[in-house]
Amino acid sequence: MADQGLRIAGLHASVEGNEILKGIDLAVERGKVHALMGPNGSGKSTLAFSLAGHPHYDVTAGTATLDGEDLLALAPDKRARAGLFLSFQYPAAIPGVKVPNFLYAARQAVRPGELTPAKFRALLLEKMDVLGMDPSFLGRYLNDGFSGGEKKRLEMLQMAVLAPKYAILDETDSGLDVDALQDVGDTIQALRASEEGNATGFLIITHYPRILQHITPDVVHVMIDGRIVKTGGPDLAQRIEREGYDALREETGALA
Amino acid sequence: MPSLLLTPQERDVALDAFQTTRTGREKPSQFWKIDLESLVPNASAGGAAGEVAIESASPRAIACDLATAARDHAALFARAFRQAIEPQHKFAHLALANARLGAFIYVPADCAIDEPIVVRYRAADGESIFPYTVVLAERGARATIIERLELGAGTFACGVAEVVTEEGSDVTYASAQFAPQDARVLFTRVARPGRDARVAWASAELGAALSVSDLTITILQPGVDAKIATLFFPTGSQHVDVVSNVDHRTGDATSETLVKSAAAGRGQGRYLGNIRIAAHAQHSDASLRDDALLLSKTAHIDSVPALEIAANDVKAYHGATVGALDDESIFYMTTRGIEREAAERMIALGFFEPAIDRFPTEALREELRAALQAKVTS
Repeated sequence: MADQGLRIAGLHASVEGNEILKGIDLAVERGKVHALMGPNGSGKSTLAFSLAGHPHYDVTAGTATLDGEDLLALAPDKRARAGLFLSFQYPAAIPGVKVPNFLYAARQAVRPGELTPAKFRALLLEKMDVLGMDPSFLGRYLNDGFSGGEKKRLEMLQMAVLAPKYAILDETDSGLDVDALQDVGDTIQALRASEEGNATGFLIITHYPRILQHITPDVVHVMIDGRIVKTGGPDLAQRIEREGYDALREETGALA
Repeated sequence: MPSLLLTPQERDVALDAFQTTRTGREKPSQFWKIDLESLVPNASAGGAAGEVAIESASPRAIACDLATAARDHAALFARAFRQAIEPQHKFAHLALANARLGAFIYVPADCAIDEPIVVRYRAADGESIFPYTVVLAERGARATIIERLELGAGTFACGVAEVVTEEGSDVTYASAQFAPQDARVLFTRVARPGRDARVAWASAELGAALSVSDLTITILQPGVDAKIATLFFPTGSQHVDVVSNVDHRTGDATSETLVKSAAAGRGQGRYLGNIRIAAHAQHSDASLRDDALLLSKTAHIDSVPALEIAANDVKAYHGATVGALDDESIFYMTTRGIEREAAERMIALGFFEPAIDRFPTEALREELRAALQAKVTS
């Protein structure tokens, strides 16, 4: 169907009155991996937060739909229940809330009544194993006292457990070592290749092309100063690795 | 009705001390309008009988009412009774003057009791009771005591718990108060641990129109490991007034105070956390953690930590926060599909969890969670 996908058109967004996104057009299909690259401050995280519904980000123009549903009209929890997932660059620590209790509440919210607690626990342990997470994570409070790498793994665990229709990964690769990157890549690949109709579509926001050695994107976009200035295949990421963003900036006439 | 524990002469002295002792909470507050002096009904009337029920599964321990303790175990009882409370405990004087309802727990040397000893005080509607609990734990003894109040409507309860322990013992004393909305509950709980002893207070003030709680540990011996955990949550028009005192009068001892409070509706809370380290109490290690959560614009919590440190070779940590629920945390949870109200509830309950964790028995912890959940939801 024509309206399938995570479709963003003419999106403008501001933070505290400053326009950050200046007209974004993007469409992610299920089962496809889009990489969104760009230098610091180009607006990548603003796009992620705007789509997830962060209250500090004002969408001033444009549309965003998820399989035809108007995302921007929904509260953040309803966006998640519609099938959107955001992996945070800096997830909040919530003392006193145990990891499995939180994950079960999230799973029940997104897919009500589908799993008994026992089956849920089995699923959790299976996904944790893929991510190389020790079962002791289950006794810990949500992100409380977690290292940067542990937080990222927990974000990936949540994504694996919720199996969203579309996932936005906001710099999930930053601060991860090679082994962790491989585990993240495996988790993405498993969701991307889920059986027909259940596959996840990805928008992977990254500063460095490094993660793309572990997961090959279908499409690469480059964002500079709130606009997508170039879209291409995996070779675009390689070019950025060689030449940096400045060459693209000159070529496309984007504002420095 | 059992007779009063004090002689008429002793009682006059106690009542006089009650009248003349200051509460120590005279500091003016922008919002706190209650005069603690004004709330005591019939201070001289001696109180109704009330009831006490004691559950103890240990054949070696003594767990009995006050009359039995004074009659059959007078020598043991005298080793703890009035041995921990001090003159500045104003409301303890009142409870003492009217003491006839109460419990005595004696745990002999090297006796370890796994199953908590439960002391229940009951009062019928409108009654005033003055429950007095005395605990004596000998060398190497270990026990957990849970004190419960089962109060009728409009009751007034002014009580004391005294815990006196000997070398190497380990006593946890937990109290959880879910009194009716129009009750008034004032408790003074004082511990005097022995050398190398561990002693812990855990208290939850969740019910009553007015709840006044004074938790004290007086450290007179080295090697003590003293712990205080308290949580309170005034909602509706409840007032809660909590004071904790850890008095390091001897060095080489550790204390840890943890306070978690929230207020909603027009609930008002006041917390005063005193840590004193005497000049000669070197190598003391004291920490005080005090977090308050404000869940409505009309709720108040006034939190006043007070560290008085006269020694120069000590460790003292103090951390305090007062704030609303964190917007970023709420947003994070809602992006996982959890509704905003549910997210707020989970965060607020999680906030209390480190203090809940200090209470004995999973049943009691679950009861606390359920009561807190009901308060967050209301």
